[in-house]
Amino acid sequence: MELQKVDLFIMTNAKFFEAHHLGWIREQLIQMDDSKWPTLQMQQFKDPTTYLIVSLLGGSLGIDRFMLGDTGLGVGKLLTCGGLGIWAIIDWFMIMPAAREKNMALFQNVLSYA
Amino acid sequence: MSRNRLYTIVLLACAGGSLWLWIQNSRHLLAQNGETNACLIKTLTGVPCPSCGTTRSIFELFDGHVMSSLQWNPMGIMVLLIMVISPVWILLDLLLRKDSFLRCYSRAEKQLQSKWIAMPAMGLVVFNWVWNICKGL
Repeated sequence: MELQKVDLFIMTNAKFFEAHHLGWIREQLIQMDDSKWPTLQMQQFKDPTTYLIVSLLGGSLGIDRFMLGDTGLGVGKLLTCGGLGIWAIIDWFMIMPAAREKNMALFQNVLSYA
Repeated sequence: MSRNRLYTIVLLACAGGSLWLWIQNSRHLLAQNGETNACLIKTLTGVPCPSCGTTRSIFELFDGHVMSSLQWNPMGIMVLLIMVISPVWILLDLLLRKDSFLRCYSRAEKQLQSKWIAMPAMGLVVFNWVWNICKGL
């Protein structure tokens, strides 16, 4: 793919991925076929900041995990008052990396199936 | 989610829950009946969350009072069942090198995500929450 497009994608979407993955993502995008570009553009990546806010406000009820698609963990948090409050606090720090991990899985999905 | 990660999280959660029950039971036996509050929502707002009362519900179950346990919080029975069944299931899986718990978890997760199950489940949680607030837990 054109370098200009790749750099545009990296600039606009850097916050959705872990910093140490960006180099690999750039390499993959350069090698990627142009036909996959529209599909990649249409993907709705999860904004880690939104998840942090949700985790701070509704983490004890597991709402952050439900939104992320980890329904099982959400139920676990809901049934245990956010893991007696401890799990809820741990998730304040873990939810942003978890959201970025989901985005990475989505990106890899597009690369392999689109 | 990978098999090992799920099993670690569930085992840790069950171990934490058992430790919590053991600590609370020791306090109960020593007649230190002051309220211990581990719920962030209740600590911050004073309003109980949907799962407040679970510990007391489990203690009622230990004493054989099923109806009283249901009155404290019906979620207590669910939590106790999960805490008893899942570690045994996981240990069996680890011994037999299987992943039946992971497959069951994934299937349950998919079913819970369908709106026909998610909506009634959410309704029940909200109902339980309102009930908890009315009971003044």
